[in-house]
Amino acid sequence: MFSFTKEQEVLEISGIKIGGQPGMYPTVLFGGLFFKGEPEPIKAKGYLHKMLDLSKKTGNPGIPDFFIRKEEYIAPIIDFIEVDLPKNLPFSVDITDPSVKVQVLESLHDKKLLSRTIYNSIHVGITDEETDALKKYTPEMAIVVSFNPKDKSPDGKIEVLENGAHLTSSGLLDISKNVGIKKILIDTAALAPGDNSGASIAAIPVIKEEYGLPTGCAIHNVVEKSKWLDDFEGVRKTVDASSNVNIPLFGGDFAIFGPVGNADIVFPIVAWQDILVSEYTENYFGISPVDFHPRRKLLK
Amino acid sequence: MENKYYPWGGEFTRCTSNSCVAVVLLNIEYMPSDKVAIYGPLKTENIGIEKIVANVISNPNIRYLVVCGEEIRGHRSGMSLIALNKNGIDDQHRIIDAPGAIPYIENINSEAIERFRSQVKTINLIDEKDKNKIDIAIDKCIKEKPGSFGKPYIAIRIVPEATTNLEDQRALHSKIVVDYMGKIEKRGE
Repeated sequence: MFSFTKEQEVLEISGIKIGGQPGMYPTVLFGGLFFKGEPEPIKAKGYLHKMLDLSKKTGNPGIPDFFIRKEEYIAPIIDFIEVDLPKNLPFSVDITDPSVKVQVLESLHDKKLLSRTIYNSIHVGITDEETDALKKYTPEMAIVVSFNPKDKSPDGKIEVLENGAHLTSSGLLDISKNVGIKKILIDTAALAPGDNSGASIAAIPVIKEEYGLPTGCAIHNVVEKSKWLDDFEGVRKTVDASSNVNIPLFGGDFAIFGPVGNADIVFPIVAWQDILVSEYTENYFGISPVDFHPRRKLLK
Repeated sequence: MENKYYPWGGEFTRCTSNSCVAVVLLNIEYMPSDKVAIYGPLKTENIGIEKIVANVISNPNIRYLVVCGEEIRGHRSGMSLIALNKNGIDDQHRIIDAPGAIPYIENINSEAIERFRSQVKTINLIDEKDKNKIDIAIDKCIKEKPGSFGKPYIAIRIVPEATTNLEDQRALHSKIVVDYMGKIEKRGE
């Protein structure tokens, strides 16, 4: 458990705060929707309500992360966001296809949803069209992924943020600021076992001390790629959810925990870890948890 | 003995080592027959492709790489793999004319890439999900009996140089110190 010398930024989007010294704010949890198949709004609504109930109970903010796989899914997913999401709830859009990214930004602008949007994500594959779209339709917040295909160590991750390695014309932080994004979250790019998977966790304190920006990752991706777990019946979901405790333990601020259906385990386990961190950091570093921290809500 | 082939590991199934065909599965639920040398899924257009290159050139019997299934959206990993085989990489290590988002080959040297390009021919069955058609393409390759390419080529994984030199502007990780209570600060500041 850590405390940082560098001043830590606390960023806010639509009432949710992310960042700060470890132990101050609860870990923010991003739950993924629409990973597979056709978007199913009724099922998604059920999962969403469950996640928000868990959020209320533990104090850990829950943010839906909408995976938009193809062009045909843009309209139904944006409609879902507009109609079915609580009006003040921020959300993130997770898109891999560059042309879909551009269309989603335009659509979010048209629906006046950009002030609640966390753009997931900016990385070294950013295209000129995407840059132009981000300038024109700037989301409130963006996740910058520090994936460096050449150097997967914490140093390599800093390198892409700082100067783009040789993959982009400048560093990803400058690129993000230059398109007008004022609130940046850093994702430390969790990779498969065998590809320095631990570096995504080790990089959290490194990046927070370097930039003071809210930092986290999708550590559950490492579990997803750990095929050997299939030899142990029924443990995958538990291991997947448990992997997230590494993030607050190493001073991180948010976890992109994968399928929202895992929220029932992820929220209590991360709340438990947040309490552990808070007790230590208050005692040794004088960091008081906020009123809605799990330690305040759950420890009677 | 099998482990001498495919030294980079990954998510794959070994079948007949002396077969001339390896099968790359994009988005497809399909299990090739055990007449192929190896098959497995491809997800990413960088690390995933590197593993395929390393594991293919270590088995000189593999002469055909059948790439099948629905293309990976955004990553365009299938077409990026085919582009690598066709065009190689530029001096920034980017796969020439690859459509993927981050098609960089950084952990494998150019000699290994050239070996890959010489050793195997890619069979483009991207967006083909008809299993019979894929089976027919695989059988056709096997019937060609192209023979071994020669000796196995074991690709060395390029590992970035570790440094603790405070003058190095790039290596920041090594400048972080944590005291016994967990307070973090940058060394030298």
